[in-house]
Amino acid sequence: MMDVAAILAALDSLPLSQAIRASLFAFPLIEATHVIAITLVFGTIAIVDLRLLGVASGHRPFTRLAPEILKWTWIAFALAAVTGSLMFITNAGTYFHNLPFRLKMLFMLGAGINMAVFQFLTSTSVHLWDDRPRAPPAGRVAAILSLCLWIGVIAMGRLIGFTSTQKAEAAPPPAGVDFDDFLGGAPGGPPPSAPVAPK
Amino acid sequence: MKQFAAWLATTFPSVFIKTQQAWMIPTIQTIHIVGIGIAIGSVFLITLRILGWAGTDQTLQQIHRRFAPWLKGAVWVLAATGLLMIVGEPARELVSFSFWAKMTLLAVGLTVVTLFGRTVKTHEAQWDEALARRGSVKVAAVATFLVWLGVIVLGRLIAYDHVWGPLSPAARY
Repeated sequence: MMDVAAILAALDSLPLSQAIRASLFAFPLIEATHVIAITLVFGTIAIVDLRLLGVASGHRPFTRLAPEILKWTWIAFALAAVTGSLMFITNAGTYFHNLPFRLKMLFMLGAGINMAVFQFLTSTSVHLWDDRPRAPPAGRVAAILSLCLWIGVIAMGRLIGFTSTQKAEAAPPPAGVDFDDFLGGAPGGPPPSAPVAPK
Repeated sequence: MKQFAAWLATTFPSVFIKTQQAWMIPTIQTIHIVGIGIAIGSVFLITLRILGWAGTDQTLQQIHRRFAPWLKGAVWVLAATGLLMIVGEPARELVSFSFWAKMTLLAVGLTVVTLFGRTVKTHEAQWDEALARRGSVKVAAVATFLVWLGVIVLGRLIAYDHVWGPLSPAARY
């Protein structure tokens, strides 16, 4: 059996991981694409959740609205998964042990289970409430869970950037740094060798 | 701008956000991203309707009436949280190429969306009968959507302003 540390180290040393780390642009652009993907996931799924809650789009049948929107949610999610994996392999060991990262994965698992329960149990009675502006309680609970879990995913995702570089931040600042210097920044200084998501 | 950023950093609200940074900046950023989700979702659905890819059982004005208020609300939330981020970390935002490029593209996006909203309200019949079927209108809708994606990308690149090389003000000092 291969142990986790070995798998993480193997991911870290993949040629693809090395190429992303070596590039000035790759990580920022992958991360920007990840943000586009996650905002589209949240933005589209929220439309469906708000329909279930009866907050918006109440006059449109649920079965008319949900499939044409969720199709795009899945496409955006696939993009988020690919870009997320690319970021993960650049620093697999750090992310794997990072608490916000683990919570983010947990919240996504929760969102997946919530979606499956809705799909296979709650929505089987959709013909009874398709035209009603509000779904029955089980549907509304699923909608609130979905909104909370995805906001949690976004929050944890953001926290990864603040915690995965914790060790570097905890180091004392070099003596004699004044504010003007800080503003000027390192003149075109090289990016950190391991591009761990900055804030 | 450098002096202004330095001054802003000494003001009470800025010092407050800075000292609470451990939780405050990630929280503000999270609200900002949720706001972007609502905004881009709204723009996306209007774009899909113009392309005829979704919501075709609705008129363009119905779709606009559904999403425009959410877009407007989200933009205000984004402005408020964005302002807090500027106050909290003035140099990071104001002394960066990405930030000003983002503001420029944002101005373009907001102008197009505002003008579009007005013509949809005043020329409802024309929109549904002819305008939304024109190729040029579809191209403009896709271009506008791409402008908003550009705003998101530039927003994220504020954290990586070095990618602009000599264009980044940080590189000039």
